[in-house]
Amino acid sequence: MAAHHNIENEPLPEEVAADLRRAVRLEWATIVCLVLIVGLVYAVMGNSQAMKTAWIEDMLSFVPPIAFLIGVHMTRRPATAERPYGYHRAIGIAHVVAATALLVMGGYLVVDSALKLITVDHPTIGGIQLFGTTLWLGWLMMAAMVVTAIPPVILGRMKLKLAPPLHNKVLYADADMNKADWMTSLAATVGVAGIGLGWWWADSAAAIVIATSILKDGITNLKAAVAGLIDARPTSVDNKDPHPLLGDIDAYLRGLDWVHTAGARVRDEGQVFHVEGFVVPRAAELPTPDRIQAAQRGLFDLDWKVRDVTITPVRRLPSVLEAHAGPSRH
Amino acid sequence: MKRLVSALLVGLGVILASAGCAGLYPADPHGTLSEVTGGVLRVGVSHNEPFVSVRGPVPSGREVELVEDYARTLDAEIAWTADGEEELVDQLEHGQLDLMIGGLTNRTPWEQKVGLTRPYTETTDEFGQQEKHVMAVRKGENAFLLDLDEFLQSQGGQS
Repeated sequence: MAAHHNIENEPLPEEVAADLRRAVRLEWATIVCLVLIVGLVYAVMGNSQAMKTAWIEDMLSFVPPIAFLIGVHMTRRPATAERPYGYHRAIGIAHVVAATALLVMGGYLVVDSALKLITVDHPTIGGIQLFGTTLWLGWLMMAAMVVTAIPPVILGRMKLKLAPPLHNKVLYADADMNKADWMTSLAATVGVAGIGLGWWWADSAAAIVIATSILKDGITNLKAAVAGLIDARPTSVDNKDPHPLLGDIDAYLRGLDWVHTAGARVRDEGQVFHVEGFVVPRAAELPTPDRIQAAQRGLFDLDWKVRDVTITPVRRLPSVLEAHAGPSRH
Repeated sequence: MKRLVSALLVGLGVILASAGCAGLYPADPHGTLSEVTGGVLRVGVSHNEPFVSVRGPVPSGREVELVEDYARTLDAEIAWTADGEEELVDQLEHGQLDLMIGGLTNRTPWEQKVGLTRPYTETTDEFGQQEKHVMAVRKGENAFLLDLDEFLQSQGGQS
C-alpha cells in the first residue's frame, strides 16, 4: 500500500509507513469503540441535557477518524498529469470538514443548553426496570459515563504519539479530542449527579461546559486547517511553533558552497511538504543543472516529509523570505 | 483547563458526599414526594375511558384505581381536579398539581412540558397500534417520579 504513497515514485521510509499503518489500525479501533459507546450512551441518555450533549460529542468523534482514513487513503494515489501535485491536500480538506463539524455542533449545543437553562427546564429522570427491581436511571447514566470515559483516553494517548512523526494534523486533532474525552464524561456525570440532588440547573450547566469544549476544539482546528489550505508557513502538529524542518531546509541551502544566500517557501500539504527553494548564487554561472539537482537530492534526504522540491536561482530573495534570511557566513 | 478539571472533581466529590448523607436520592427540586407523603396528592384527571371516567360524582377507571392504590402507599389523601388535558398540563407545570392521568401514552405531545413515568401497561388501540400507557408528573420531580415508577412496576402485568 505504502509503495504508492509518493510523488517521486519512492516509497515512504519503512518506519514512517509502519507508523502510518499503526495509526490506521488505531483509527479503526476508535471507530469500533465509538459504535459501542454511542449505543450504550444512547440507551441510557434519558432526559439529561448533559448526557445528550455527551452523546452528540461521541457521535461527532466519528468525524475525525473517518476524515483521517479517507484522507490517508486519498494521499496514496500517485501524482498524475492531471493532478501533478498528487492528492496530499486531501488531508487538509479532511481537517476542514472535521473542524467545521465540531464548530457547528459545538455552537448549536452551547445555544441549546443555554436555552434549557434560561427556560428553567427541569430535567426529568425516572426509574428503569432492571433485573426485577426499579433503579433510578441516573445511576446507569453515571455508570455509563465512567465506563465510556476510559477507552478514548487510552486510544488518544496512543495516537498522540504517532501524530508528530507522521506530521498529520487530523490525527493530532482526533487524538487530542480523545485524550480530553474524560472531561466530557466527568462533566456529564456531575450534571446527572446534580439532577439527583434536585439541582436541576447542574445538568444544563454541565452541558454548556461540554459544548464549550467542543466549540473550542472546532475553532482551534478550523483555524489550523484553513491556515494549511491557504499555504501558511508550516507549523508543528500542535500548531504552536514553526515547523523545525523549515530551519533545516534554509540551513541546508545556505550551506551549499556555491550559494551566497538562500530561503525556502514551504507548503504544508497535509502530511508532506512541498519546497520552493530560492538561492542567490555566488556567481551567475554557478547554478548548473547538476548542482541544482544535487541540492534537490540533498533536501529529499533531509526528511521523508520533503516530497517535492523546486530550486530557483535568483538575484534577490523574494521579499517575504528576505526579512529573516541573513547572508551565509563562510 | 486544569483549574476547570479540579473544580469539576471537587464538585463531584461534594455531590457524592452530600448524596451519601442525604437519605433521599434522587431528590425533588420542589419537594413533591415529601409533601404528598402523609399529605394531599393533587391529581388531575381528564376523561378518557376506560382509563379515566369523570361521569360519576367521583372519578373512576383503571388509572384512577391505580392512583388510589398508590396514594395508600403514601398515606395520602387525593384531591381530584377534572379538566381538559391542556389545562391540566398547565396546572402541572405551575405546581398546582402533582400528578395527571387520562390514558396518556409515551407518545404524548406533552412530553416536553411534563415528566412521564415508565410505561406501566400496553394496550392496542382501534387502529391496531400498540400503546404504552404512562402517567405525567411535574417536570424534574425525580424522587416522586421514581417512587411512582417503583409502584407502577410493582403492579406490572395488571391492566
